[in-house]
Amino acid sequence: MFVEYTWLVPLVPLLCFVIVGFFGKKMPHGGGPLVIFGALFAFVLSLLISYDFFTSDAYHNPGYVTSQIEWFSVGSFQMNVGYYIDSLACMMMLFASFISTLIFVYSIGYMHDEGAKRRRYFAQVSLFLTGMLGLAVSSNFLEMFVFWEIMGLCSYLLIGFWGFNHPKGDDASDSASSAAKKAFLVTRLGDVCLMGGMFVLLFEFGSLDYVTVFDTSMMAAVDPNMIMLGSLLIFGGVIGKSAQFPLLDWLPDAMAGPTTVSALIHAATMVKAGVYLVARCFPLFTQNPEVMLFVGVIGGITAFFAATMALNNMNIKKVLAYSTLSQLGYMFLALGAGGYMMALGMQSGDAALMAAGAIGYTAGCLHMVNHAFFKALLFLGSGSVIHATGTEDMREMGGLHSKMKITSITMLIGSLSIAGFPLFSGFWSKEIVLETAMHAGDYGVEGYLFTIMWILAIVTAFMTAFYMFRMWFMTFKGKSGHGAEHCHGESPKSMTIPLIILSVFAAALGCILLFGFDDYITIGIHAGHFQVGSGHGHGLAGWLEDIFLSMYTYLTIALVLIAIAVAYVMYNKASVNPGKFNKNGSSWLYKALTNRWWFPQLYDQIGWKLGNGVAKGVEFVDTQMIDGTVNALSSAVVGSGESLGKMQTGNVRDYAAIVMIGVVLLFVAILALFYFMGGL
Amino acid sequence: MFSDIFAFTYEIPYLLTLLLIIPLVGAIATLAMGGKRQKNAKYVAGVFSFVTMVLSVILMFTPDLSVYSESYTWIETAGVKMSYILSVDGLSILMVFLTGVLVFLSTVFSARESDKPHYFFALILAMEVGLMGVYMAGDYFLFYIMWEVTLIPMYFLISWFGGPRRHYAAIKFFIYTHVASVVMLIGIFAIVFGAATGGIADFSFEAVLAGSAAFGSTFQVLVFGLLFFGFAVKMPIVPFHTWLPDAHTEAPTAGSVLLAGVMLKMGSYGIIRVCLEVLPEGAQYWQPIMVFIGILAMIYGAYACIAQKDLKKMVAFSSISHMGMVMIAMACLSDIGIQFAIFQMFAHGLISAVLFMVAGATGHSVGTREIPLLGGLAGKLPLLAAFMMFGFLASLGLPGLVGFWAEFGIIFGFYDYAVSVDMLWLVIFCLLSLLLTAGYYLWAMQRTMFGRLTTKIDLSHIHDLSRPEVIALGAVCALIALFGLWPDLALSYLEGYSSSLALTLGVI
Repeated sequence: MFVEYTWLVPLVPLLCFVIVGFFGKKMPHGGGPLVIFGALFAFVLSLLISYDFFTSDAYHNPGYVTSQIEWFSVGSFQMNVGYYIDSLACMMMLFASFISTLIFVYSIGYMHDEGAKRRRYFAQVSLFLTGMLGLAVSSNFLEMFVFWEIMGLCSYLLIGFWGFNHPKGDDASDSASSAAKKAFLVTRLGDVCLMGGMFVLLFEFGSLDYVTVFDTSMMAAVDPNMIMLGSLLIFGGVIGKSAQFPLLDWLPDAMAGPTTVSALIHAATMVKAGVYLVARCFPLFTQNPEVMLFVGVIGGITAFFAATMALNNMNIKKVLAYSTLSQLGYMFLALGAGGYMMALGMQSGDAALMAAGAIGYTAGCLHMVNHAFFKALLFLGSGSVIHATGTEDMREMGGLHSKMKITSITMLIGSLSIAGFPLFSGFWSKEIVLETAMHAGDYGVEGYLFTIMWILAIVTAFMTAFYMFRMWFMTFKGKSGHGAEHCHGESPKSMTIPLIILSVFAAALGCILLFGFDDYITIGIHAGHFQVGSGHGHGLAGWLEDIFLSMYTYLTIALVLIAIAVAYVMYNKASVNPGKFNKNGSSWLYKALTNRWWFPQLYDQIGWKLGNGVAKGVEFVDTQMIDGTVNALSSAVVGSGESLGKMQTGNVRDYAAIVMIGVVLLFVAILALFYFMGGL
Repeated sequence: MFSDIFAFTYEIPYLLTLLLIIPLVGAIATLAMGGKRQKNAKYVAGVFSFVTMVLSVILMFTPDLSVYSESYTWIETAGVKMSYILSVDGLSILMVFLTGVLVFLSTVFSARESDKPHYFFALILAMEVGLMGVYMAGDYFLFYIMWEVTLIPMYFLISWFGGPRRHYAAIKFFIYTHVASVVMLIGIFAIVFGAATGGIADFSFEAVLAGSAAFGSTFQVLVFGLLFFGFAVKMPIVPFHTWLPDAHTEAPTAGSVLLAGVMLKMGSYGIIRVCLEVLPEGAQYWQPIMVFIGILAMIYGAYACIAQKDLKKMVAFSSISHMGMVMIAMACLSDIGIQFAIFQMFAHGLISAVLFMVAGATGHSVGTREIPLLGGLAGKLPLLAAFMMFGFLASLGLPGLVGFWAEFGIIFGFYDYAVSVDMLWLVIFCLLSLLLTAGYYLWAMQRTMFGRLTTKIDLSHIHDLSRPEVIALGAVCALIALFGLWPDLALSYLEGYSSSLALTLGVI
């Protein structure tokens, strides 16, 4: 049984981190090949484990394999460490390790000029992968949290990779180090919420093990309000980690890191951890429809707002960053809408509604995997462009299609996929996301909120197609910009081969939906307990019927096509000047979008006031009031008017005398006290 | 427990006495290394502190600590009995280990000390005598003497080897802690005489504990206040804390390491050992006040950190914040609370050692610790930057390092308490302090090591860590990682003690 060796999956990348961290200086490429080996090993082992698991009896009942040993105990509560393998864990392991392998291979070429810094880079990305894989296979919340924070640390270190000695000078160093700090602190805000959620669960359930917490009878025995509190706090952690509204501001800044790191954060690790956690906690969250409603609404709002910010951005990486936020919003919308229906179905005992809810889960998970592939592709593609042109500004690119054919075509595939062009990967998952959201609008008192979210999501689909093709046309078509003239052709093979592999998946992966593989990424209640996977999917006919017999599908397809056409006329043919719509950048909407709806300024103000403002007050109290009193007292006692600061060692005796007098007085007082109390 | 891995069953005679005698002999021997031999003083001190450390490590591997208890009558008159009692239990074993390790490593770290090194190292070893004595004493008289013994070497360390305002800082340190210890002495007299039976006041812990059953409620409440004040100033608690940042800022690095790493723990150790053990009813009465003081220290300390300009002063305030955590943990008066209070004392001891070492090393290497003058140094001082990063992350509670488990346990214990008093919102303060902690550390990191390279200071003489510094820092960091990955290694020592104390306190 390979499942028993699951602990090796995070351990091998961890060992690579240690080895490269200590000895990477003397290794070829700064230890890159070893790190690639570690990731590849994790991928192969994940494949074996998945095969093992899906062919075992445990897959059908109870749907998971778990094993753990005691780590330590907190009072009477036992903390464990171990693995928990189910369909979700397998899926996470597989795509995280596979995509990371490709990103690491790409990094060999991309980071080639970094010299000795590569050791630091490769050690840290390996630890990053450890964090993600460990998170995927953890058997309880605490263990999960450890890896969750390790990822937070790695994102901090990697975003700040150029936080000093930046090749582009001091300002770039400053912004990189500031972005790294922001990323860590904002996610930390979420993490303390998550920690609070863990305390609630530990207190209520007496354990943090998934098997205990997700046990239906256990959940039924616990006060629903506390489950709700715990769920919302856990979702607070997710909001931070996956950069959802209102904590979405750190992710665009995080573009200060190397492009490969962005690919890693956006596709394989970090932000996906949040989606994973919601999917993992699905049984818990569905105890309250309100929680799932909240998840869905947050997702819908994020999807919409992030997409608007991408509309007019000139930085190729930032456009992609906003698109990640937006797509993550889709995932949460799907999970929220599905969970909402599932929760209502459980309350009313409506099996059909629960099955409809399970589709939301499938949609969210499938979109996560699809997004991982096309986003990795897009980031690596943009990295290839940046590598060749030396700029991130799309106005300085243009006309690169002829110079970089492979990059151009693979990125076109990625753009088509993310835009939801029919039959590409993104199309399938996006359609069921939208369908779930619309469907959820029909149920419950607050269901109308999902209808609103669905409308936002449709508009988002339009905007997505527009800004992605705006990006592609501006980069690869049209007139050559300043940076494009520096381009001397296609990137090296170590960079293009990962692009080609990723583009295959970005184009075709979504089709697995039609071939019964969706069985592996669904959830339902069987024999009284939640079960992830285990073959109760929707079936080929079901999917085809759902997607192609719905007129809303054609509505979205139409919107996508129109958006691509609009982008074409504006940025390729240039027959319509975009300046017409934004009054050449002077309209308030344009300014709002450029300033990210003024969120950064707002947060900076709040953060600065609550942090530094209060700190200044505390400092005043400390130095002036408390210490001032102390010094004034000492002057008064010494009587000479000299402050304590001017005292010399010779005066210790004076102090000792004063202290002795104090002692005697106090002693007398105490004796008197005892006398009156009748003691002694 | 270490003894689960390897049980050291050979019984070294008088081990606990040796833990006192060896550093004492070492201090005298080092003092004799004056004049031309003074460059060898560090080796003498190193050998003695190394042997002490080895003995304290052996103690960790001993399955049954009670075999080492020693008890001799010292002074016996008609009315009082004072004894020489040394013993180590679940509460003190980690502190003894911490003392042994940190004294040796701070000796290693200070290997470059060249100004009258024989005095310097003799003072450090003398301090070790006092620290070991405090943690091992089983008699109030001995305890008090040892308590005072720690003060004097620390005073001279600051006053002779400190920074520009060293005299001010040294006097302030001395007066504050001395006044506090006098108040504590009165409290000790009260409990000893209060527990006296048959006309003989026996100063041993055991006798006082046995007699404590007879204490009335009013007596417990009043005396708890005295003792608590005496100990808490040492921790320190917020209105009486201003000696600490000054003492730290001026003290030499080794002094700061021992001050934060081991000496502050004397305060919380005393609260648990004396206040909670002997005066459980008083503890119940004072519980809300302890909670308030703890939360105040946590939040106030964390905010003060944000405002600091001196790196070392910031670290000093972070100690106040983290000792506030110890305070709320003790205030829970529960099994989990006490266990993790002790664990946090241990964890903070290790982590603050790293923090003060890097802060001190920044001063030596760059020439200034003023944060606004620094910036972008990671490229020039990669080793220092790496250790600073590690220390900061450990201190802000990165899971997988020892500090996180302490915080996790403390906040969970506190959650338990907050539920029991129906004030769940109190937990928000704990979580807020975690956030603030991350804030000031990362901001400091950004301003010192990252960003643009500073042009405000002369960078031509800066140098990265020397080899002894790297060894000392590396060893502490290894311990932080070891106990972080395997917290049970330390927690298992505490289980028996904390659960029995929780029983005494009537809260389980």
